[in-house]
Amino acid sequence: MRDSKRPSRPIASRHCDDPRIDYKDAAYLSKFVTPQAQILSRKRTGFCTQCQRQLKQAIKRARHLALMPFVG
Amino acid sequence: MTQLYEGMFLLDNQAVRADWAQAKAAVTDALAKHGGVVRSARRWDERRLAYPIRGRKRATYLLTYFEQEGAATQGLRRDLDIEERVLRYLILATQAIPEGELEKSQAELEAGFSVPPPPADDEPGAPVEEARAEGPEGPQEGGSVEEEVALEESVDEPVDEDESSEKEVD
Repeated sequence: MRDSKRPSRPIASRHCDDPRIDYKDAAYLSKFVTPQAQILSRKRTGFCTQCQRQLKQAIKRARHLALMPFVG
Repeated sequence: MTQLYEGMFLLDNQAVRADWAQAKAAVTDALAKHGGVVRSARRWDERRLAYPIRGRKRATYLLTYFEQEGAATQGLRRDLDIEERVLRYLILATQAIPEGELEKSQAELEAGFSVPPPPADDEPGAPVEEARAEGPEGPQEGGSVEEEVALEESVDEPVDEDESSEKEVD
């Protein structure tokens, strides 16, 4: 029986040092937000600290330029 | 000391429809005015906005790479805030120009290049009319509030008169 509290599989387990983290690539960034457009946690994305920070910054820049929504 | 910057500018589609070169010049002239040397400037994309900005549902993105003194960005931002054709902008310090950017920018400068006209789903003219309609309404609303207050005061006075008249009747 599967433990319901067990975290689901991270989306990006091998995406660290990925040059694709760019605010212009909204299609890629949209994989790391919830349907309500909230940024996923590090546990869920699988990014390291630095990459998660880059992801957060890129999503916020994309939101500023209306490439991504603030609210889904 | 000059720094290389990456600038992404959101241009109003109405200005792009009227003349792409002038819309682009609105940004490049502002950069040049503040001592910026434009290395690359090209139309990045035209797409639907994730949320409306100033009533616009679509806009054209202009991607630029330019060199500028760090102290000059403050004046540049002030001019861009005033510029009506620029809906929004993002200026970031960067280390190098990505590969292929200069070639794409050069291709846009060639004679045969033509910018595809933005689709007309955002109803050109409608946001401007709304903005014009909103402009005069502001003071009118303020005036109407004052009028309402004056009316209430004037309404109060007759009530007193009525009461007094009623008293007189009684």
